[in-house]
Amino acid sequence: MNNRLVLAAGGVAAALIIGLAVILILVIGGGGGSDNGGNAESSGTPSSGKTSSSGSSQDNNSASAGELRVRGADPLFLDPAVAEDADSAVYIVEIFSGLVRLDHDLKVQPDLAQSWDTSPDGMTYTFHLNPKATFQDGRLVTAGDVKYSWERALNPDTGSVTAENFLGDIVGAKDVSRGRATDVSGLKALDDETLQVTIDAPKAYFLYKLTYPTAFVVDQKQIESNPRRWTLKPNGTGPYKLKEWKLGERIVLQAYDNNVLGAPKLKQVTFELSGGSSLVDYQDGNIDVTGVGLDDLESVQDSSNKLNAEYQTSPRQSLDYIGFNTKTAPFDDPKVRQAFALAVDRNKIADVVLKDAVPVANGILMPGVPGYTQEDKTYPYDPERAKQLLSESKYAGNMPEITLAETGAGATVGPTTEAIVQSWKQNLGVEVKIQQADAATFFQDIDQARYQMFHLGWIMDYPDPEDVLDILFHTGSRQNSTQYSNADIDAKLDQARTEQDTEKRLAIYQDVERALVQDAVWIPMFFDTTHALVKPYVKGYDFPPIVIEHYRDVEVDRP
Amino acid sequence: MDGLAAYIVRRLLFLPVALLVVSFATFCITRYGPGDPISVYSGQYRDPEAFDRVRHKYGLDKPVVEQYGIWLKDAVLHGDLGPSFRYRDRTIPEIIGPKIWVSVRLGVYAFILTFLIGIPAGILAAVRQGTWLDPLVIGFFLIFQSIPILVTLPLLVLGLSVKLDLVPPGGFDGIFTRSMIIPTIALGLPGIAGVARLARAVTLGTLHEDFVRTARAKGLDEGTVVVRHVARNSVVPVMTTVIGLSIVGLLEGALFTETILGIPGIGRFIFESVNGRDYNVILAIVLLMTVAFMLANLVVDIVLAVLDPRLRTSGTGAR
Repeated sequence: MNNRLVLAAGGVAAALIIGLAVILILVIGGGGGSDNGGNAESSGTPSSGKTSSSGSSQDNNSASAGELRVRGADPLFLDPAVAEDADSAVYIVEIFSGLVRLDHDLKVQPDLAQSWDTSPDGMTYTFHLNPKATFQDGRLVTAGDVKYSWERALNPDTGSVTAENFLGDIVGAKDVSRGRATDVSGLKALDDETLQVTIDAPKAYFLYKLTYPTAFVVDQKQIESNPRRWTLKPNGTGPYKLKEWKLGERIVLQAYDNNVLGAPKLKQVTFELSGGSSLVDYQDGNIDVTGVGLDDLESVQDSSNKLNAEYQTSPRQSLDYIGFNTKTAPFDDPKVRQAFALAVDRNKIADVVLKDAVPVANGILMPGVPGYTQEDKTYPYDPERAKQLLSESKYAGNMPEITLAETGAGATVGPTTEAIVQSWKQNLGVEVKIQQADAATFFQDIDQARYQMFHLGWIMDYPDPEDVLDILFHTGSRQNSTQYSNADIDAKLDQARTEQDTEKRLAIYQDVERALVQDAVWIPMFFDTTHALVKPYVKGYDFPPIVIEHYRDVEVDRP
Repeated sequence: MDGLAAYIVRRLLFLPVALLVVSFATFCITRYGPGDPISVYSGQYRDPEAFDRVRHKYGLDKPVVEQYGIWLKDAVLHGDLGPSFRYRDRTIPEIIGPKIWVSVRLGVYAFILTFLIGIPAGILAAVRQGTWLDPLVIGFFLIFQSIPILVTLPLLVLGLSVKLDLVPPGGFDGIFTRSMIIPTIALGLPGIAGVARLARAVTLGTLHEDFVRTARAKGLDEGTVVVRHVARNSVVPVMTTVIGLSIVGLLEGALFTETILGIPGIGRFIFESVNGRDYNVILAIVLLMTVAFMLANLVVDIVLAVLDPRLRTSGTGAR
């Protein structure tokens, strides 16, 4: 008995000693080759003599000249037909590509297709594939590959929720997505290099839709040989190959030099998927680009800050808004909606709460979207008129309880929402409760129209007014989350879909936008903006207003 | 030892029953809760008909009991815990394995820190019982137990990283690196008081044992008596008792620590999986924790029984 005790105690003592040694190693030896950036202050850490203390510590900080290091998030999975989250899109747009692409000015440009003809009636597109277009394993991309990719995306077994949205205009596409056919009748591979696509109406935005990942090309052979796991090492057609993906740790993209548009200048992009404050990491020289949050924005914008020279800002095609359920009390009365819109001082909120990080929205269409105008279509801040409209509404004096839904962890309400709700209380005397829910709960309520009003954003997927006005406000749209229905607007939207004259078409959308804002279906709040820091040795890095491929032309000349 | 073996077998036989109950309860809670993975991961395109088609593909449109039956059959017969709805191209062990390994190593560090400080502190307090040192030592560590990890973490980052620039502010680049120092301290500190108090209590008992009196009578100096006789007999029961019960506490701490510092461990991952309604992953993690908790307690019971014959002979393991 006693012997055993002594043995056990000895074992524990040994364990403790080993533990102590581990901690010592950790404190003294760890960290491997540290900082290129913070050398000046690193007097506290012995930087020499300990470099080979532990084999397992990876040296993260030595980056090669042609490598860009950024912070990233884990993608869900890299199937362009299915993934619909922004985190996956960042990688998918680099690894895969489609017939056409958007350039940095958001104009449609050739990619795998070198040219295309449109029939006089605007309903048949004939794409001529670039004979140099290859998959990353070297195989040529044929018209059959494109046909396969689109039919696969539409096939219900693939499980895509976006396919109908982006490919549904093709004749016969909905037969496939609803399981009635496996071949899309409007898709014909005339030969290896020619693909003929027939759509159901002359829709000017059709080419834009093909720039979205759902229409990207995937490798049939790879998918069929490894249906569940091919996305771990996808054989794409884009400018970058997926070289490494360690879940939660790191993703490395490596240039595919035989890309149809030429070899990328930037040879490698490393995404660090974990870490604390990315601003601190940036200052330590561990990453080359970082976003700047609201808390740090003022200090970075201050010209006396040495980071100020590295500060970049650029608009995004994304809108923050308050939406109303136009079928539910009290917001089925347009006067109540208008009163709520008039009672919010958006300029003051932008200035005080958001420190002017974002511009106040002057309509639904963001700058850069065709049809955008400088004219302010929104309601100005006018508490008097707001009160008057509310008193004229059918809910004057018998206002029901109102709840604003938004996503969030529930612990704290964002200061913007707080300020909005406060101004309704102050100017209209209406108490609005805030209901925060996690994304899953929130979206279920939105899908089932179980809400009165909500705070949300809309991000453009392609730069055409149809991508917001038609998709969200047409009575027939399944994504009409405001339940809005207006025969006049529906007629205009129908007309705009097929209007061939661009100017006329955009004028219709401008009418629709004005009518929607005046009818206060949404209160457009703010246009989104990117605030970021880019190291001076990184050239040609920009922030496109929507998620498109953008690493190809970056040059890194690390000192 | 016969009694002990039978006891172990009985405890192990109970494990599948517990797993069955826990898995069914978790299955129902996740399935009946608001939202579902298809809707969460569909971003801003809200097309209910398309959602239904995808739900059908994954069998999510079947009655919950039938879904549970299918899951159970796959799990028991094929060891297949079902697909993850987030990372659809990986198996669940592939997804959570590396994350658990990160958290386990972090937990071991925290344990080591807790014991390295807690046991000597408790012994010191016991030996100096009745002097000002006793309440001071215990009280000092009680302060750390009382401060939530949500408060200690930012302070540690501010002090060690921002002000002194000794360690990185967060992230994870391997287990033998300085990035592990802040999480180790944050996770280990709150537990010290508990270990110290237990060590103090056990040591106080030991100090009055016959063999201690004998050691003193032999003329050994007080330092040798404490280190070689008293401490030896205090360390083992303290460690075994604390480890089993601390697993849940560590997991709780890991949730905050890993989320705030951006460490890719299981604590942060549970949080993400629940937010993403990743049903099968949530279930797998809950089951794993159940197993870990039950096994740890079983091991503690066995060790204590081996050490203390009184527990062994009474058979049922009075815990």
